Amino acid sequence: MLKVFDFFAHAKSESLWMAHFCTGCCSLEMAAAMGPRYDWERYGFLPTPTPRQADILIITGLVTKKMLPALLRTYAQMPEPKYVLALGACSFDGGPYNDSLAVIKNPTEILPADVFVAGCPPKPEAIISGMEEIKKKMKAGIPSAASEGGLWKEMRF
Amino acid sequence: MEGDEILMQNIKNILSSYETEYIEDYKTVWIKTKLLKSGDLLEVAKALKENGLRTISTVSATDFLEENKIEMNYFFEDLLTKRNCWLKCDIPREIELCVIDSITPLFVGASWHEREVFSMFGVKFTNHPDLRPIIVSQDFYGKTPFRKDFDWDAHEADIVTNMNTIVDSFANEELENDKKLDPHGSEMILNWGPTHPASGPIRLKVHCDGEEVLGIDPDIGFVWRALEHLVTKKDFIGAIVAVERLCFMDNINSMVGYCQAVEEIAGVEITEFAKYMRVVLGEVARLSSHMMGMAGVYNALGLHTVMMWNMDMREFFLDFLESYSGARIATAAIEPGGVRYSLEPKMLEELQKALDKFDATKEDIRSIFVKNPTMKLRGAKIGIISADEVLDYALCGVVARASGVKTDIRIDEPYGAYANITMDYITQESGSAQDRMIQIFAEMEQSVDIIKQAKKHIEAKVASAEFDLTKDHMVKVPKKLPKGEAISRVEWARGEVLMHLVTAEKATSPYRLKLKAPSFNHTMMLNHLLEGKTLSDIPLIFGSLYICQGDLDR
Amino acid sequence: MDMIFNIVVFPGLLYVLLWTVALFWFFRKFMAALHKRVGPSFNGPAGSLQTLFDLSKLLTKESITPKGVNPYLFSIMPLLAATIAMLPTALIPWTPNLTVVSSQYALLGLVVLIGIEPFLLFLTGFGSDNKYSFLGGIRILTQMISMETSFFLAALSPALLFGTMNLNSIVEQSTWMSFWILFPGFLLYFVALLGLLEQPPFNIPDAEQEIVYGFYTEYSGTNYFLLKLAEFAEFMAVFAGAATLFLGGFRGLFFDNYFCLFIKMILIAIFMMTIRASTPRITMKQMLNFSWSYLVPLSLLNLAWIMLAKIFILGGVA
Repeated sequence: MLKVFDFFAHAKSESLWMAHFCTGCCSLEMAAAMGPRYDWERYGFLPTPTPRQADILIITGLVTKKMLPALLRTYAQMPEPKYVLALGACSFDGGPYNDSLAVIKNPTEILPADVFVAGCPPKPEAIISGMEEIKKKMKAGIPSAASEGGLWKEMRF
Repeated sequence: MEGDEILMQNIKNILSSYETEYIEDYKTVWIKTKLLKSGDLLEVAKALKENGLRTISTVSATDFLEENKIEMNYFFEDLLTKRNCWLKCDIPREIELCVIDSITPLFVGASWHEREVFSMFGVKFTNHPDLRPIIVSQDFYGKTPFRKDFDWDAHEADIVTNMNTIVDSFANEELENDKKLDPHGSEMILNWGPTHPASGPIRLKVHCDGEEVLGIDPDIGFVWRALEHLVTKKDFIGAIVAVERLCFMDNINSMVGYCQAVEEIAGVEITEFAKYMRVVLGEVARLSSHMMGMAGVYNALGLHTVMMWNMDMREFFLDFLESYSGARIATAAIEPGGVRYSLEPKMLEELQKALDKFDATKEDIRSIFVKNPTMKLRGAKIGIISADEVLDYALCGVVARASGVKTDIRIDEPYGAYANITMDYITQESGSAQDRMIQIFAEMEQSVDIIKQAKKHIEAKVASAEFDLTKDHMVKVPKKLPKGEAISRVEWARGEVLMHLVTAEKATSPYRLKLKAPSFNHTMMLNHLLEGKTLSDIPLIFGSLYICQGDLDR
Repeated sequence: MDMIFNIVVFPGLLYVLLWTVALFWFFRKFMAALHKRVGPSFNGPAGSLQTLFDLSKLLTKESITPKGVNPYLFSIMPLLAATIAMLPTALIPWTPNLTVVSSQYALLGLVVLIGIEPFLLFLTGFGSDNKYSFLGGIRILTQMISMETSFFLAALSPALLFGTMNLNSIVEQSTWMSFWILFPGFLLYFVALLGLLEQPPFNIPDAEQEIVYGFYTEYSGTNYFLLKLAEFAEFMAVFAGAATLFLGGFRGLFFDNYFCLFIKMILIAIFMMTIRASTPRITMKQMLNFSWSYLVPLSLLNLAWIMLAKIFILGGVA
């Protein structure tokens, strides 16, 4: 019985589908990561058209105030277990838009990310390695950061 | 030349019949003038339109706090005979008095630009048909974020209330929709985006009856970063970081535009080598953008093969950018005074590899995808933009040329080394969605041709030791700039980018930078193009207009 | 005992599951090759375990039932769709000796079971309480009505030629001559198949870029797994139907075996994927126009051709 259970947990961690949602410029490098040279499908990542079938939400860079409710809604629509990957400097502290007041500087305090990928924009290899980090986290059985806490639970969206 | 001068003289004659502070020539194709009475604006605009200046590139405002005025800038263009007029006038700064006539009834293309000025500066336009806020998020409604005395910190102090305003406005909109629609009817409102596989960060409110589209109201501003405000907080070199993020797909050319404006105010002439490097880098960026743009048309039809094949080529061009600047996309390679890095011969080999890759792949793409019969079935009769509409809505770049309008800033107002490069207008005839896709491919070939010319020139000059690679790439630009203003136009991947830079005395950072980007005008067209079409046409037309949300929202 | 083996192992549940895993992998790998990519690569040899992981994950993931839907309709439809999609496997002659239900009316059963599937998918879309799903449901219904007419007419041509609806005897009677006579019918069947299976250029009902994912939009976890299973089981039924009706089923050049049938099915799949990689989607109106002004009249003409061929080439009505 334990063996079967293990298999399904392993399957979950090895098959990460990501929601097709782009909040900012890093989605361009995400497209490159899907492309022929980097081809993240080798690792089993696949984009899905609807959040209902997704396992990972990728915050692709900056999140503006207007975008935040859509981001949180998309996250809420995803089935458990779900993880969040934050790309780029913007999703950490606003990055180059740190001085701009239309951009939320701490989106990951609102929706905590499991893995951050540095760069502006991060290179495709870095994005893939970030996804691999999430796999490790799932294999170790660590629950996602967003389910543990974050301001999003107190917010209306 | 004679004929052109007569035409320019015509404009001056028109302007001289009104009270103006000055009428002067600016660069080769501009006439700059300032009206003394803002009430004359409508009449002048009408006279200019009758004289052929049918296109309004943008409407922009500059807030002068000390002089207590808001200066309005209108950029009228004639895409056919290449004459342009830069018209200014002052209006009072007090929020009740800051009113000016709307030129939208005369120039349709001004509609959204005036709405933008209304939302950013609080300038009211009388007789504007639809003066709602645009771009800004809901918590800025009724405020004036771009005015110099706007207290951002106070506004952002209570972020929770701001967020609630936004969420409430979405909820209210939904309730209103429910009330508006007949519960027994078949009409409904679809939110096409921002969580939609083909939309990107934009929301199209699609009123539809079953499959038929009744109307579209684009809701933009999902990636509004307030770049125009952001640059004023940085120094002249730091500002390129904000400017290149206008849109990552083609970031080099937007930096070129900004740097030209700075160099003009500083009175610096860059070296010939830097000019040629700007051409090479700019065309590489244009190519990498066009590859994604062409893929976008096909992605909208559910075919991802083009994207993959184009991306395969694109990686080689990004390799060149990476070897030159260290970054694949965010290169920051253009700086006021030239280009940032010196060139090593090895980098040109990298470029040659990319060009070879393109030459090896292009025939496959042409025979399978450019001449695709199903694409013809889908795109040849849909999304047709006539040449008249191009002029009225101030469309530019690929979209304008696909409709047969000969406009290309690289030829109309040559900047950098483009004056020495042999190139011609590439146009298509009908202006349909398919033509825009073909146009993008044709321009990719043109770009490769330009790169080859520039590369040959650089190699020849290096061989004859006329270019010194170690120090030719930069000329010193002073840190502090004098008071002044400049406009600079570049042909960006998507079309004309117009930058209007204003500096104060001994400035270390821009006082005001207006970025006019093409997607704004193209999105304005959407309702006009999609009314009465079906849901299936939305992604195709949207994709073929080559819109990037980055330069749509700025 | 045989019956239980047939239901559980071959050609029943396990076989369909294995087929789903394998075909899903093959689709991704083949598509990747056309995209100049590699495709799944690191899980198992050549990534062959990847789709097993994907489907196992879907099976055990949370299934969300959205607020405001009828939970019974919403959850029972995928199960029903999967079950009905698996039924045609019982009618196909897999090997010379193995046909689970050998009937005089097997052909009718096959086309009816294949043809009922879009109705169930329409109900999934209808029951999702989502505007996009509803539009997808309407689209699949429209497409079904226009595409199934020619699908039925094309599928009938072997029955007309051989004078039987028993799939076993259709396979046994087929010759090179009958293959060429049925070839126009096969092409029509193939085009109708693209429409029936929602493949490009007829992937209108689940057009990602237009209506998100059509009737799939609200489904997650186990329910989505069942719908995927239904989709791939339908692939199998339709491919096996094509191979049996037009290409001589399990008969091969040198020996008669299951693998001959399998290779024929894979060839059809390859053909389908190549079209998928090079053809953009057409619109609803164009599909309707194409179906009713070209495909259906051609299918009727094809029947006339079969009649004439039967009389003048094969030497009259038996």
